[in-house]
Amino acid sequence: MTQNLSSSALVKPAVKDAQAEADIPASYGKTESYLLPKDPAWLFLFWEITAATIECIKSQYSADVLNAAKTIIRLYDVTGISYFDGTNAVQFYDMPVIFEARSWYINAPATGRSYVADLGYLTADGRFILVARSNQTLLPPGKISDIIDDKWMIVEGDFQKLLKLSGADYIGLGASELMQVIGQRWKLTQLPSSGTPTSWSSFALHLEKPAQPQDEDIWLKADCEIIIYGSASRNATVSINGQIIELKEGKFSIRQHLPAGSVVDLPIKAQNAKGDKVRQINIKALREQGK
Amino acid sequence: MAEEKGYLALVLHAHLPFIKHPEYPDFLEEDWFYEAMVETYLPLLNVFENLTNEGTDFRLTMSLTPPLCNMMSDPLLIDRFRHYLNQRVELSGKEIERTRGTEFEAVAKMYYDKFRRYQDLFENRYHGRILEGFKKFQDMGKLEIITCCATHGYLPLMVHKESVNAQIKIAANDYRSRFGRSPRGIWLAECAYNPGDDKFLRDEGIRFFFTESHGILHGTPRPKYGIYAPVYCPQTGVAAFARDMESAQQVWSAESGYPGDARYREFYRDLGYDLDYDYIKPYLHSDGVRRNIAMKYHKITGKVPLNQKQAYNPHEAREVAAIHAGNFMFNRQKQIEYLSTLLDRKPLVVSMYDAELYGHWWYEGIDFLEYLFKKIYYDQTDIKLITPSEYLEKYPVNQTVQPSMSSWGDKGYHDVWLNSGNDWIYRHLIKAAERMMEMANQFPHADGLLRRALNQLARELLLMQSSDWAFLMTTGTAKEYSTKRTKDHIKRFNELYEQIKGNRINEAYVYDLEQKDSIFQQIDYNVYSSACKEGVLKKYQ
Repeated sequence: MTQNLSSSALVKPAVKDAQAEADIPASYGKTESYLLPKDPAWLFLFWEITAATIECIKSQYSADVLNAAKTIIRLYDVTGISYFDGTNAVQFYDMPVIFEARSWYINAPATGRSYVADLGYLTADGRFILVARSNQTLLPPGKISDIIDDKWMIVEGDFQKLLKLSGADYIGLGASELMQVIGQRWKLTQLPSSGTPTSWSSFALHLEKPAQPQDEDIWLKADCEIIIYGSASRNATVSINGQIIELKEGKFSIRQHLPAGSVVDLPIKAQNAKGDKVRQINIKALREQGK
Repeated sequence: MAEEKGYLALVLHAHLPFIKHPEYPDFLEEDWFYEAMVETYLPLLNVFENLTNEGTDFRLTMSLTPPLCNMMSDPLLIDRFRHYLNQRVELSGKEIERTRGTEFEAVAKMYYDKFRRYQDLFENRYHGRILEGFKKFQDMGKLEIITCCATHGYLPLMVHKESVNAQIKIAANDYRSRFGRSPRGIWLAECAYNPGDDKFLRDEGIRFFFTESHGILHGTPRPKYGIYAPVYCPQTGVAAFARDMESAQQVWSAESGYPGDARYREFYRDLGYDLDYDYIKPYLHSDGVRRNIAMKYHKITGKVPLNQKQAYNPHEAREVAAIHAGNFMFNRQKQIEYLSTLLDRKPLVVSMYDAELYGHWWYEGIDFLEYLFKKIYYDQTDIKLITPSEYLEKYPVNQTVQPSMSSWGDKGYHDVWLNSGNDWIYRHLIKAAERMMEMANQFPHADGLLRRALNQLARELLLMQSSDWAFLMTTGTAKEYSTKRTKDHIKRFNELYEQIKGNRINEAYVYDLEQKDSIFQQIDYNVYSSACKEGVLKKYQ
């Protein structure tokens, strides 16, 4: 049932305005977490964990148990469950997190499902200690439904034509141009700045609970995975670094580990059947050796 | 007369965030309202007046959001708008003299004539109450005015349904007080729909809303007519109308859309930068910094630097607008003719736009609309303009489909309003919503100063929930202002909350906020009580 570390989480890139939160409360003194939908594949979880909550847990479990435990997000698929009690989820997925991050973007394992996220400790012997449970959130399906209504029967060929006319190919595409126009409508400066929205970084950082430090030295452990995702027209063949990628509903997503001291070249290519039309986006990633 | 083959519903979303700063003698961001008044809202009313005078029938659906309605009836803002408009009349009058015999004479004259006309409409026809103008055309059956979430709040990112309920109820009440009936439709802010929120619409008697195309295309079960007929939400029967992308692209696309034509007015070359400083200074803000003053004398010309733009020719630009209106109508005729071969009912094309695109951004968009209304009325019989209410009267039986969560923002969901540049706000927005519920549940029968404080608490929450702030943080436009506004409302809310909780309400503080954040004079904080929300939801259990 459990698929440990099967999902990925994104760390927020440090692009936000450092002054943004300067003179409003950093916290509200209550342990709680909230889960928000972002799009069919992504959720946003934010939380506050008070010192009192941690003290309370420390009073119930030995230091050995907690030191050997990992701090995780446990994401439950609770689709179709009327009352979720922590044990009756359809499935759950664990991913490591550091509580101090206070928020996390979570790549959901499937679209169109309902989720609840727990924050807690996963002990070495597999027990889960709950710290905070979120609200429940439903993600959109992100695709055309397979369910057909008997009373409103559709001729398949006509439906495909209607879909095309309805702009099925436009979904999620080409809107950034539109955004620029809207974004600049009340523009106060003379020249446009980039109107495209900042998006989250596509780097996933898998943090592992480090071994206890042996002396006064400080420690750092980090690992890295790259997520590449995108979409292409349905008649295109997409390859990444020469390897053909399967499109699902016109979308693709792959993950790749980025080892220390490596340079990765990931040219993404889309081409039509004849091979005379090609679109290419090049992505390069560099990870230096630790020092 | 031949029978029509299908219908076109034109929908304009008119909205600005509530911006009012009585604490300053003048304020930069208030200009958004004054510019939109003189470039979009009054020009639209002028078109309605012209069409009605000459006997051209038309149909248009327009949202006038609660913040906009509140600004349009705010005495201070209207006073300042009068001053703004007077100044435009005065300056354009001077400009006729200055440009006499130059290539700019015609455009200077155009501004003078238009400003005088809008001033006449505003003062003599509507007596300073522009909403009366819109109401008049609604009462005539030509314009369908719909409401919007109370402060353009982004519903799918509200965890507490009490907040959703309040956004809808406060909006519907505001609408009733202004238009003398209940709203039949709503523009969900950013077309952001979350399954189930239609229950709160239904409770206010709202019969329809709008979604992005995939709101219906990704609905369950498959929509038989694609986006060319509305669907009913399960349980509530509220209708969802989806946006047609083909007609949207024709107007919106920065590259291939109409507004990019070289003969149209150039937005970025503004007189505020071109005129002699001493001459223009009285028309700038008190800080004396050169900015746009909404008078522009050049055309787009082509991809050339701003200093190489050619003189604007109003007559030529109007003719282009007429050609584009003809092209738009022709494309809709072809589209509807083809669709009518696929559907077993008359197809409906829903074309949705930001109202401020017309006039403010695309200056000739107003002329375009006027020509479009005339051409559709006089030149053809294939398509007929319709409002959603009229459509639902003609076709009361529609497929029941659960629309998908969606928005009309970039990538189709919530990315624009929830990303690493603005996600920090939700910690505070959601906390404030939770505290508001707590207060409403704790004090169901407050009066006097406590009641005023609770009502103001609700206003601060509503204002911080405006989706405009998160949007502006993402686009980088007015980022500083939108960040400050978000934080100001968070701070005011928290301070007021502590005062109420500590039983030490400072009347001077409440009074000050009542003056600044004066939206929704008639608000009742009880709308945030859990009982109010449960009252809606229990009908569906």
